[in-house]
Amino acid sequence: MLSRLRYILRETLDSFRRNATLTLASIITAAISLLGVGLTLLSQHAFDNLLARWEGGVEMIVFMNPTATGDQLTLVNDALTTSDQFIESFEYCDEICSLEEADRIFAGEPGVRDLLTEDTILTQFKAVPTEGTDVDLLRQVSDQFAELPGVYDVSFAEDQISLISQLQSFFGFRLLLLSVFLLLAAILLIWNTIRTAIFARRREIEVMKLVGATDWFIRIPFMLEGLLHGIIGGVLASAGLWAWNSQWTSGVESFPDNSGFSALVVVDGYDQTVMLIMLVIGALAGAIGSGIAASRFLDI
Amino acid sequence: MIRLENVTKSYSTEIVAVRDASFDVAKGEFVFLVGPSGSGKSTLLRMLNRQDRPERGAVWVAGRNIVDMPPSRVPHLRRNIGNIFQDYKLLLEKNVFENVAFAQEVIGRPTHVIKQQVPAVLELVGLAGKEDRLPHQLSGGEQQRVSVARAFVNRPLIMLADEPTGNLDPATGEGIMRLLDRINKTGTTVVMATHDQRIVNTMRKRVIQLDRGVIVRDQARGVYE
Ligand SMILES: Nc1ncnc2c1ncn2[C@@H]1O[C@H](COP(=O)(O)OP(=O)(O)OP(=O)(O)O)[C@@H](O)[C@H]1O
Ligand SMILES: [Mg+2]
Repeated sequence: MLSRLRYILRETLDSFRRNATLTLASIITAAISLLGVGLTLLSQHAFDNLLARWEGGVEMIVFMNPTATGDQLTLVNDALTTSDQFIESFEYCDEICSLEEADRIFAGEPGVRDLLTEDTILTQFKAVPTEGTDVDLLRQVSDQFAELPGVYDVSFAEDQISLISQLQSFFGFRLLLLSVFLLLAAILLIWNTIRTAIFARRREIEVMKLVGATDWFIRIPFMLEGLLHGIIGGVLASAGLWAWNSQWTSGVESFPDNSGFSALVVVDGYDQTVMLIMLVIGALAGAIGSGIAASRFLDI
Repeated sequence: MIRLENVTKSYSTEIVAVRDASFDVAKGEFVFLVGPSGSGKSTLLRMLNRQDRPERGAVWVAGRNIVDMPPSRVPHLRRNIGNIFQDYKLLLEKNVFENVAFAQEVIGRPTHVIKQQVPAVLELVGLAGKEDRLPHQLSGGEQQRVSVARAFVNRPLIMLADEPTGNLDPATGEGIMRLLDRINKTGTTVVMATHDQRIVNTMRKRVIQLDRGVIVRDQARGVYE
């Protein structure tokens, strides 16, 4: 067992050395494409922060003063309930809920976030309109809410998110498309590298087959090699993502307050999830590239 | 140990490399395959370790018909068969010790077994002291000894040799033959394809002669003719 392990490692590392240029090309391509995937995910998440309060089809939010009384809340609640012609459903987001939201929205402006407490935060009624209800209609209906006591303001998703979500989908889609093509290129490069490695060692493989090495024994070093290309690419991409994200975060912190960028950072540990995803995709790409090469070209 | 039953192998409709061949080889026998170039000797040897499969007939090796053997069993079959070739098939960047050890490594023999058995077999083939040489630092005869050592190190039941003396001068070839004879005397069955008239005539072993894929002679203690 131990000697097998040593054999496999030695062969894999040997192959890395012999095939250095192609190996490097595979790893770099894998790293760049994975970084692309990672940045897409990360920026989508940052945009999601910005849109956090509008999740779940919410189109209208009635903000309540922190000082609003229970009676005032009930009044708004009743008004929303009776508007069931236009409002499919609504939910009250109390102080705790609103503070949690603020964690995401003001992630890049810890100074602003620190000013918010249970006594100063605006609570929210979030309303999802019925199907087919036009936002303009909703605006007219909302006039009656705006005048109720305790109401701070009424906002509409349309005003706030259309630009943002356009940006989000524009960047998200194109970046992802680019990354997927690069990832495809990475798989092809890994495939080609492994094929070359197999070709370079066809004499060894011939001898191995003759003396009765099993197909798996022959295959594993090559598959491991491809897997390592993918994983190393993933590690490099993770390092790149980390550097990118921390520079961006500190950059955003130095932006003027209320510049609108404050939510466009990721500080909740999602970056680690993205790194994990990149490693997994990298490993998969390596396994696919080398797996195909090993099963197709070992019959020599 | 080996039994062929009406074995036919063709590469295309015109090229029938082996035609309806049948014979038995007992354990411990030494058999020469002779015949002109292209008569099917190499093809026959390749069918004995499943490098080739006949389209008709049965090939029994160590009690099993290997024609329909599932591919997953083939490695285990081959561990019982040593192979020697005219061109040695040594790995050029590995030294003598590593070339022989390779045959044990790749079937998962533990290191302590390798460290003990490789020097023993190198001693047997007369290469003790040359463990660290690379193939290009050896004579042809020595290279063939390395290849014999590699084929024999796992103590196979059968040794297949395809013109092992083809590239060697007569004296060196005789040395290889003495080695094969010794290996044969340990109980290993040897099947050897050859063009070498002198060797066949001096060894006086069983001779199976092929002509255009057909067995035309099977003679105990035979000569090349
Ligand atoms: N892979 C192949 N594809 C097509 N034909 C082949 C192949 N291998 C061998 N043959 C043909 O099969 C016949 C037998 O070849 P084989 O190599 O078995 O002969 P041989 O007796 O070993 O010859 P030699 O003494 O020259 O080594 C020949 O006609 C050869 O051309
Ligand atoms: Mg031949």
